[in-house]
Amino acid sequence: MENRFTVLNVPETPEFRQKFKIVVTVLLIIFSLLLIRLWYLQIIKVQEMREKSESNAIRYRKIQSLRGVITDRNGDILADNLPSFDVVYMPGIAKNHEQLIQRLQILYNRKNLEIDLSQQFGKTMRPYLPVKLEKNVGMEKVAVVEANSVNLPGLYIDVSPVRLYPKKEMTASLLGYIGEVGKDDLENGESEYSLGDITGKYGVEKVLDPYLRGRSGAELVEVNVHEKQMQNLGRIEAVPGYNTVLTIDTRLQEAAWLGLNGKAGAVVALDPRDGTILAMVSAPSFDPHLFNAGISAGQWKNLLNNPLSPMTNRVVSGQYPPGSTYKLIVAAAALEEGIITPQTKFFCDGTFTMGNRTFRCWKKHGHGQIELHRAIVESCDVYFYNVGKMLGVDKIAKYANLFGLGKETGINFPNEKSGLIPTQQWKLERLKQPWHPGETISLAIGQGYNLLTPLQLANAYASFANGGTVWQPHLIKRVETAEGRIIKKFEPVKTATIPLSKKTFELLRSALWGVVNEQGGTGRAAMVPNADVCGKTGTAQVVGLPQDPKARRLKKISAFHEDHALFVCFAPRDNPEIVIAIVAENAGHGGAVAAPIARKMMEIYFNIQESDIRPQVANTAETGR
Amino acid sequence: MLFLKFDRSNLHNFDWTLLAIVLSICAIGILNIYSAGYSYDALERQSPFYIKQIQWILLGLIAMIITFSIDYRFLAKGAYVIYCIAIALLMLVHIFGYTMHGSQRWLSIGGLAFQPSEVMKLSIILVLARYFEDHKSNQPYKLRELIVPALIIMLPFLLILKQPDLGTALIIVLISASIIFFIGVNWKSFLIASSGTLLSAPIVWHFLKDYQKDRLIIFFNPERDPLGAGYHIIQSMIAVGSGGLWGKGFLNGTQTQLKFLPEQQTDFVFSVFAEEWGFIGGFVLIILFMSLVFWSLKIALHARDLSGTVIALGIVCLFSWQVFINIGMVLGVLPVVGIPLPFLSYGGSAMLSFMAAIGLLMNINAHRFILHR
Repeated sequence: MENRFTVLNVPETPEFRQKFKIVVTVLLIIFSLLLIRLWYLQIIKVQEMREKSESNAIRYRKIQSLRGVITDRNGDILADNLPSFDVVYMPGIAKNHEQLIQRLQILYNRKNLEIDLSQQFGKTMRPYLPVKLEKNVGMEKVAVVEANSVNLPGLYIDVSPVRLYPKKEMTASLLGYIGEVGKDDLENGESEYSLGDITGKYGVEKVLDPYLRGRSGAELVEVNVHEKQMQNLGRIEAVPGYNTVLTIDTRLQEAAWLGLNGKAGAVVALDPRDGTILAMVSAPSFDPHLFNAGISAGQWKNLLNNPLSPMTNRVVSGQYPPGSTYKLIVAAAALEEGIITPQTKFFCDGTFTMGNRTFRCWKKHGHGQIELHRAIVESCDVYFYNVGKMLGVDKIAKYANLFGLGKETGINFPNEKSGLIPTQQWKLERLKQPWHPGETISLAIGQGYNLLTPLQLANAYASFANGGTVWQPHLIKRVETAEGRIIKKFEPVKTATIPLSKKTFELLRSALWGVVNEQGGTGRAAMVPNADVCGKTGTAQVVGLPQDPKARRLKKISAFHEDHALFVCFAPRDNPEIVIAIVAENAGHGGAVAAPIARKMMEIYFNIQESDIRPQVANTAETGR
Repeated sequence: MLFLKFDRSNLHNFDWTLLAIVLSICAIGILNIYSAGYSYDALERQSPFYIKQIQWILLGLIAMIITFSIDYRFLAKGAYVIYCIAIALLMLVHIFGYTMHGSQRWLSIGGLAFQPSEVMKLSIILVLARYFEDHKSNQPYKLRELIVPALIIMLPFLLILKQPDLGTALIIVLISASIIFFIGVNWKSFLIASSGTLLSAPIVWHFLKDYQKDRLIIFFNPERDPLGAGYHIIQSMIAVGSGGLWGKGFLNGTQTQLKFLPEQQTDFVFSVFAEEWGFIGGFVLIILFMSLVFWSLKIALHARDLSGTVIALGIVCLFSWQVFINIGMVLGVLPVVGIPLPFLSYGGSAMLSFMAAIGLLMNINAHRFILHR
C-alpha cells in the first residue's frame, strides 16, 4: 500500500501516473453518481414527481410557541395566552377569487370586505403560502367558515395563541406589546427569528423576549384539496417560553394608575433597599390587545401621532424639570461644601434680585427670616436662590451627579433617557454660550436646563433614603420554567455610593419628614398615620410664565403650558422600604395633585384601611412648589 | 522581477479550450438566473440578477487575466503573505462584517458585498503548494511533518465555521485533505490524525452556540429538520424530477416560477435548470463540468514542477467538490450545505475566485514548457 502513496518530486514518474489514475477513477465515480441520480429522478420517477408538482400538496406549517407568562411579585398574572381563531386563506386553492369574496360577503353579511383577495394573490406569488385574512375572529365567524368549508375552497380556520393582558392599559407601557418580526428585523441579522415569528416590540416583552418567546416548531404535511391534512411528513414541537416574575406589585400599580385618574403623567415606586421597582405607571397608555388582531395602519398612526404620546413610557423616557424636588440635592451640596449651616438664615420678602432680574418666591409676601429646615418644609424659593448663588452651577452639578442624575440609571428597559444636568462647560459646548450667573438662581429651585426622568428622581431619593447607596433599578425578579425551575435570577446591582456625612443625611431627613408631617409643610396631603412619610413637593414650570395668577390669566395659558405637579417621598422615615415619585403633567401644584396619589399608595403598602381617620389637610395646606 | 515579466510566448500557449468550457457554463448560468429571477409580477421584475451576474462575469474575466499574467511560481512564493491577508480579512468579517440570513460572512467594500472565505479557498491551495514544494520528501509524510499544514488549515476552518458557514468550511477541509492524500501520507499517520480529529470534536462542540449546534445536528441528520432543509429538498427533488427527459421549457418551470424553490438563484440553481431543460440539459451541464475538471487534471499532470501540480490539483478538487456537493444536495443525496455551483450560482465573490482559479490553471498550462532558470 505504502508505495502507492509515495511522494512525487519528479513529475511524470510511474508512481505519479498511478496516482492520477486513482484521481481519474474517483472523479468518474462522482460524476457517474450524479448522472445516475439525475436519471433516476427525471426518467424513472418522472411520473410521480410530475403529479406532486401539479398538486403540490405539501405544506410547511409553522407551529407558534406559547409565550411565557408574566406575573407580578405575588403571582398575579400580567400577561397570558389565549387561543385566537384566525381566518386563513390559501390563494393557490381558490380558483375564482371574486366568487370567493362574494360568498364570504354574503356569509359575513357585510358589504365591503376589506381585503382584496386577488391583490393578496398577486403580491405574494406564493400560492401555497397561507395568508391570514382576519385574526382573532369571534365564534360566529369561526362557525360560518367551518360550516361552509366546501363552498369556500382555500379558506380555513387556524388556531394560534394571542396575548392577553388582564390589566390592559394599566400595565401596557410597562409590559410593552408584541408583533410579528418585521422584514427590517430580519435583514438586520436577527438570525434567531424567521418571518412570521412573534417578538416583543417594547417594554418587558422586548427586554425579555429571548426568554419569553420559546422556540416555534413546524410541521410538514401532505394535504388534500380542502387543505385537510392527509399525512404528516415530519413535525418539530414548539418549545414554550419561560415564565417571568416581575418585581411589580399589582396593588401599587393599580393605585398609581387610578391615582393619576386620566391625567398624563408617570408614577414609579421602588424599594430603596435594593432598587427593585414596585410600580411603574405611565399615562396615557394604550390598549395592548390592539396588536393581537394586527393593528391597522390608521390605529397605529393615531397612537404615534397622539400629542400625549401614549406609546412612551414616561417613567424612563419622559424628561421633566425637577422643580422643588431638586432642593434636596442643592441643600445637600450646600451643607457638604460648608456654604451654609443648619442655623444659616436668609430673609425672604417674596423676591430676590440679581442684577436687573427679579426672582420670586412662590409665596407672594415671603417667609420672613427662615433657616434650612423650614425652608425645605415650606419650600421657600428665596432661601434657595441665595444658596444657589453661593454654590454656583458646577457644584450643584457635582452633587446631582453623585445622586446618579444626568446619566441613565441602567435599568434594563428600552429607550431610557439620561436627563440633563447642566454645567458651565456643557453650555459652552452645546449652546456655544457662556453661563449666566442668573441661570444658577432658577437652577437652585429645579428650573432651567436640568431634566430628570421620574425614575432618576425616584432613584436619587432612594439613594438618599437608604443612606447613600445608588442601586440600579430593576423590575425583573426571575425567569423560570412552567414547572418553577429557575432559569435566571436577577440580583440587585450597586452602582455607586454617595459620600455625604451622617449629619447631612439626618438634617435633611428630618426636613423631608417635616414637609409631610409638620404644620405648614407643603406635602401634608401625603401624610399617613404611623407610616412616617418623608417627601418633597415640586412644581415644574413648563414655559417661562409670570408668577402672578392675574398676569397668568391674561396670557391665556393653554393646558399644555400648565405646570407639572411633582411629588417624591419615602417611608418609613427610619428604615425606608418604599420610594414613590410622581409626575402629573400640566396638573398644577405638586402638593395638591401628586401628594394624594402617594398617600393612596403608601396606605396600600402599609395596609392601612381606607376607613382610618385621614387628616383633612389637602385643602387647607399651603400647596407650594 | 523575473516572475513579473510577462512572457509573450504565454499568448501562444493560451488555453482557449478551457476558456470556451468556462464561458459555455457561464452562458448557461446567465440564462438560468434570468429564468430563476423571472417573475410575472412587474414589481418583482425590477431586480435583474442576471444583469449583475454578467457584470460579475466580466469582473471575473479581469481577475482571470490577472492570475494568468503573474507567474504562478511568484504567487506560490508569496503564498504565505496572501494567506495572512486572507486570514486578516476573515477576522475583519467577525468584527466589521455584516450579517445576511443569519450568518456573518460579508465585508462591504465600496458598497459591494464581498466574502473573504472565497479568497481563502484559493489561498489555502497556494499555501499548501508552497509548503510541499519547500518540504519535498521521498517518503510518505509522517504526522509530525503534517502538524504545520494542519494548523494552516484549522485556522481558516474555525474562522469560517464560526460565521457560521458550514459549507465553505467543509470545502476548505475537503480540498486540503484531498491535496494531502495525493501528496502522500503514511497510513499510520492518517489513522492517528483522523482519530485525533474525532476526539477533538467534542471540545469544538463545547464552544459552539446553541443555534450553531442545531445547524450541525441538522447537517449530519437532516431528518431532524424535515421542515427547513427537508422541505427545500423535497421541493427541489419535485422540481428536478418533474422536468423529465426534455424539461418544461425555458421560463416554464412551474416549481421555479411559483417560487417553491428556495435560494433559486444561488444554491438551488441546478434544480431550476433541471426542471426547465430536463435530463438532456442536466446531462449536458454535468458533461461540461466533467470536461472542465478533466481538462484541469490534464494541466496538473503536465505541470512543470510540484507546486504547479499541487495548485492545479487543488483547483480540480475545488471544482469537483463544489459541483458534487451542490448537485448532490439539490438531487437529495447529500445533506443541505449552502455552497454555490461554480459559474452557475449567482454570487460575486464566488465568481471572482472561480475565475481567478481558471486564470491560475491557464498560467500553469502556459508555463509547462518554459524553462526560465
